[in-house]
Amino acid sequence: MHRTGGNTTEVEFLYRQHGPALLLFAQAITGERSRAQDAVHQVFLKLIEKRSLSQVADKKAYLFACVRNAALNEGKIQDRTKPLDPDAAWFSPPDRDYAGEQNLRCALGALPEDQRQVMVLHVWGELTFAQISVLLDLSSNTVASRYRYALVKLRDAMFAKENSCANS
Amino acid sequence: MPTLDDERFEVYLKQFRPVVPEPLPTVEPGHRTRRTFVLGAWAVAAAAILVIGALTLHIRTNGHTHRALVAETAGNPERLQDSRPLTMRSANALMARAPSFKSMVDDMAFRSQTVPLPKGKRSAVAALSKEKIKL
Repeated sequence: MHRTGGNTTEVEFLYRQHGPALLLFAQAITGERSRAQDAVHQVFLKLIEKRSLSQVADKKAYLFACVRNAALNEGKIQDRTKPLDPDAAWFSPPDRDYAGEQNLRCALGALPEDQRQVMVLHVWGELTFAQISVLLDLSSNTVASRYRYALVKLRDAMFAKENSCANS
Repeated sequence: MPTLDDERFEVYLKQFRPVVPEPLPTVEPGHRTRRTFVLGAWAVAAAAILVIGALTLHIRTNGHTHRALVAETAGNPERLQDSRPLTMRSANALMARAPSFKSMVDDMAFRSQTVPLPKGKRSAVAALSKEKIKL
C-alpha cells in the first residue's frame, strides 16, 4: 500500500461518517450550500495532504472545529450578511416530508447564529455540551442555556407558528 | 399538532438527516501511481511494437532487394552481381564481356544502386548519363 494510504482511508471514512453533519454545520454558519461545501472539502483535502490526524484525540470535535474555522474564514472574505439560501435543502426529510424540511430549515434560519450552531452541533453533530463548549470556547452552562433557548424557539417556530415560513 | 416535550422533539428533529455532501474532489496518490505505471507500460509496449515492426520491415526490404538483384543479374549476364565487391579481377572480366567501354564504366559506376527500378522506368542518373554533352 502507498505511503499515505492509511491516512486517506481514515479521512474518507470520517468524511462518509461525519460529512453530512459537517456540511449542515457549515451551512448553518455560511448560509449557503456551495460555500459550506467548499469549507468542508477544504478541511478534508488539507487532512489528506498533511496527514496530521493521527495525533488528534477527539477527531469528531476536531473536524467540527476545522470546518467552523474554514467557514468563518470563507465568511470573512465574502459577505456574511447574506441571508440563508432558501432553495437548497439542508435535510433529507423522513417520509418525503418536504414541507417539514422547509419548515425546519426556515425555523433554523430564524435562530440567532450562536444558538443555531449549538443546535446543529448537539442534535445532528451529536456532540456533547462539553465538546461544544471546547469547540466554541464557551462554558458548558452557556452552551446548555443556548441550546434550551434554541430548542424552545425552534419548537415554537415549527409547531405553534406552523407554515409561517411557507406562507412568507 | 400537539407540542412535543424536549426529548421527543429531539427525536423528531433527528429524523431529518442532513444531506450528504458531494464526494471529495481528489485522486488518491496510489491511484495516480498505478495510472502512471499503466501508462508507462503501454508506452513501452507501443515502443516495442514499433521497433519490432521497423526491424521486420528492414529485414524484408533487404531480402526482397537481394532477391530482386540476384534475379536481375541472372537475367543479365553482362552485369556483375551487386552483392560481390568490385575487384580488379571482376573489373577485367566485365571489360572483356562488355560491348563498349562506356557500358562497362556505367555498370561499375552504378554498383551502389541496390533498389532496382520497376520495368519501363528509368532513373534520372541513367538518362543524364546517356545525354551527349558537348564540352
